[in-house]
Amino acid sequence: MEKAIKRYFPIFVLPTMLAFTIGFIAPFLLGVYLSFCKFTTVTDAKFIGLANYVKIFAENDFTHSLIFTVLFTIVTVLLINVLAFAVAMLLTKGFKGTNVFRTVFFMPNLIGGIILGYVWQLLLNGILAMFDRTLTYSATYGFWGLVILTLWQQVGYMMVIYIAGIQNIPGELIEAAKIDGATSPQILKNVIIPMVMPSITICTFLTLTNGFKLFDQNLALTNGAPSKASEMLALNIYNTFYGRTGYEGVGQAKAVIFFIIVTIIAMVQNRLTTSKEVQQ
Amino acid sequence: MDKKKCKHGTLLTVIFTIISVLYVYPIILVVLNSFKKKAYISKAPFALPTGKTFVGIENYIRGIEKTGLIAAFGWTLFITVLSVAVIILCCSMTAWYIVRVKNVATKIIYTACLIAMVVPFQMEMYTLSKIANMLHMDNPWGIIIIYLGFGAGLAVFMFTGFVKSIPLEIEEAAMIDGCTPIQTFFQVVMPIMKPTCITVAILQAMWIWNDYLLPSLVLDTKKYKTLSIAIQYLKGGYGSVDMGAMMGVLVISIIPIIIFYLACQKYIIEGVVAGAVKG
Amino acid sequence: MRNVKRWLALSMVAAMAAGTLAGCGGSSSAAPAKSDAPASSAAEASAPAESEAEAPADTSAEGGKVYYLNFKPEQADQWVELAAKYTEETGVQVDVQTAASGTYESTLKAEMAKTEAPTMFQVNGPVGLASWKDYCYDMSGSKVYGDLASDDYALIEDGKVEGIAYVIETYGIIYNKKILNDYFSKDYATIKSIDELNNFAALKTVAEEIQANKDDLGVEGAFTSAGMDSSSDWRFKTHLANLPIYYEYKDKGIGSTDAIEGTYLDNYKNIWDLYINNATCEPSMISSKTGEDAASEFALGEAVFYQNGTWAYNDIKDNEVADEDLGMLPIYIGATGEENQGLCTGSENYWCVNSKADPADIQATLDFMAWVVESDAGRETLANEMGFVTPFTTFDEYLPANPLVQANAEYTKAGKTAVSWNFTTMPSEEWKNKLGSALLEYAQGTGNWDAVKTAFVDGWATEYAAANAQ
Repeated sequence: MEKAIKRYFPIFVLPTMLAFTIGFIAPFLLGVYLSFCKFTTVTDAKFIGLANYVKIFAENDFTHSLIFTVLFTIVTVLLINVLAFAVAMLLTKGFKGTNVFRTVFFMPNLIGGIILGYVWQLLLNGILAMFDRTLTYSATYGFWGLVILTLWQQVGYMMVIYIAGIQNIPGELIEAAKIDGATSPQILKNVIIPMVMPSITICTFLTLTNGFKLFDQNLALTNGAPSKASEMLALNIYNTFYGRTGYEGVGQAKAVIFFIIVTIIAMVQNRLTTSKEVQQ
Repeated sequence: MDKKKCKHGTLLTVIFTIISVLYVYPIILVVLNSFKKKAYISKAPFALPTGKTFVGIENYIRGIEKTGLIAAFGWTLFITVLSVAVIILCCSMTAWYIVRVKNVATKIIYTACLIAMVVPFQMEMYTLSKIANMLHMDNPWGIIIIYLGFGAGLAVFMFTGFVKSIPLEIEEAAMIDGCTPIQTFFQVVMPIMKPTCITVAILQAMWIWNDYLLPSLVLDTKKYKTLSIAIQYLKGGYGSVDMGAMMGVLVISIIPIIIFYLACQKYIIEGVVAGAVKG
Repeated sequence: MRNVKRWLALSMVAAMAAGTLAGCGGSSSAAPAKSDAPASSAAEASAPAESEAEAPADTSAEGGKVYYLNFKPEQADQWVELAAKYTEETGVQVDVQTAASGTYESTLKAEMAKTEAPTMFQVNGPVGLASWKDYCYDMSGSKVYGDLASDDYALIEDGKVEGIAYVIETYGIIYNKKILNDYFSKDYATIKSIDELNNFAALKTVAEEIQANKDDLGVEGAFTSAGMDSSSDWRFKTHLANLPIYYEYKDKGIGSTDAIEGTYLDNYKNIWDLYINNATCEPSMISSKTGEDAASEFALGEAVFYQNGTWAYNDIKDNEVADEDLGMLPIYIGATGEENQGLCTGSENYWCVNSKADPADIQATLDFMAWVVESDAGRETLANEMGFVTPFTTFDEYLPANPLVQANAEYTKAGKTAVSWNFTTMPSEEWKNKLGSALLEYAQGTGNWDAVKTAFVDGWATEYAAANAQ
């Protein structure tokens, strides 16, 4: 059978591969190459070795945005997962209206980042104005503004995944634990959490990469103000690339570093949590 | 779990009702402000539109005119629907092929798809828009191919995950009955994959509909705008961020999504769950 | 092994296919028109299309077409209408795109990289020209250059006319005559008439007395909020910063410099303090305030003073403030001899023609520019709808009805010296942005004035070196 299928490569694979080459492979390779070049358009690229990479750290904006992004990601990963898990636990208790609540909490996911950014800008600036402050007063306000926005957007999504995980736990398991005299915290720690480990893995992965790659929300909510203090990695790269003449190569080099960081995180995280799953 | 005695049922219902109302409040706030005169929006966002501050649907009209919102809506719908359809068709075929045919090439393709899932868009933003422009793909037709290419990673990954679980016997039986691989795929494999198709469609549609940076760099924005581009376009302009038009445009972009969501929420939530379990 | 070979062969085919596609793109200018046509006609059938952009696509094969990337968002809609009129009259396709505030450079960069690049774009002056001069067509023989009143309004390098100013603008402190006269009549007013208000000390007295008696005068502050949102901070990081630069240049008798000393920075601080401490809102709020907020405060009669230019008239008119109550004061910063200082007048809007465009497109663009400054429709739109004062001789009968423009005419008549626009010599956008951030943080209390000094003086040297190293 394999042989019969094999001849159909041009029909089954070629269209996807052509698009994949145009949409992913070619830009990726060209991007890596350009990070070693000085250029304003692709055609005038001159190879300059590692100069762009050196230039990245001549100014501290990249390091700042990296730290900001890491902090943001840690805070959102923790908060989103804890909240989503807690809400999922409550919503699986089977009280009146759980389906409505689930619907409401999931809703913000369908709204685009740009739109969300402007919606929250109005609300948060309105609240802060009562204290004579604004979102762009300092990076602290921007940071927590982004955290709140991200929570609002993603808690529902992760909650849905956790609910599915919790509902998959066989009821007898918990009953048995109860009969054995386990307290609620013990059941949570020793039965429920190990059983939903796959959900935890996937949710951590999703929130991690979402946090690192956040762009639209950042652009719409604070646009990096003040003084680039609330600028996250993705926005910093975009601004370096398109905002300053002569810095195209530096922007591309930053993007390569960004790619490496995201890849490492994805690999490490995947290894850590899957090894935990295997153990139990 | 079955619905039996939940200790504090009523209390929880009350608490969650309050939280739910707070949860939708940001959107209600935007709707309220969309009826206010623009000068009063950022000054007193929490005041209700009354008397002097009420302007009816003026903000909506101005917003639609300024951004070409109707056309943007049409293009966004056009791009999303066609891209998702093409992604489903092409990627499911590719996934089936690379699972059933095992050689170096298919292994490379699979690995490339895994990498593609992690690569941040900033890595490709300039080169992709440049290539798209060179190949005359800076229009709503061309961008579909780009979305196929950029979305292939996740889609192929998810489809392969599913195809691996389909028992070979069914397909072999079909082939013995004289089906060509194409017939086998469309008559036998595709129907089994329907749930995965829905999952992939939902995940991809949520991404493409809301995407901002890719279309803004790739599309010829003087001719074609998507919703996100149209909204971002309102910002700026020598300090004239027209808050009135902004509110109107936000409401118009949010409401259809919510209606669509309420109508199809069962599929959407199930799709997301299925996607997460396989991913 | 055979698998690998087959795979190689197929990828070669794929590469070739991609190659031919790419090849046809670069080969001729007719190709894009051809490939566009089916897309647009199909699009019209199946999806809502913007009709103005689609219709002329078929005619573009015969002659050139124009794509103008406009810098001034205030007039975005008028340009689109004017372009449509031209297309209607001549059949030549004119697309107008306007970049959002603060994004012109990045939009231009992105658009120039496309095959359908702008044929007509803008630079803000000599500094902007430096990065784009390879793209500037020499307009010396053109009609539009012939209509220019003086070479002062052109950017000329080595005999090449690379940029032509199309609008002359004036800015200062716009004030509300009615409220100000009300103040003059009060007992607590130290200053009794507009004639006495001709230096920084007087301005400070007036502003502080208005602020102290704001309830009595029925206003919320002397000045409008000094909005420092990134869409609006140009009022201070660029326009207000022009004054210390102007006086330093004047003292030294120079027109540009690679290292600024900041001799008038204390004056800059004084006027900035005056703005933020006597305004309608607390200084801690200005980071999210926009120019739109300031305009509406002024237009609703909530503030007396509003630093902005002639272009702001469109936002102010038809509100609470009547046209005859609009006036404009020079921005006094406490320099010696400022009693004779006039308003700030100049241009940061120069038209350039893309020399790398198709020759037919270049010709079409030059024709369009000539039509804009010579035809009745063009002159009518520029002068009356956009409210521009232009440097062209063809506009003698088209003086805008803008009262702010007339204020400038009065100062000139009274023999005051106009302040030139030296911010076109600021070394880079990055310099302005850093200065703006420092100004904001100083105002909020999260930074100090030394940071402004550093951004102003040290930043100038660094950015000048960076910009000229290339």
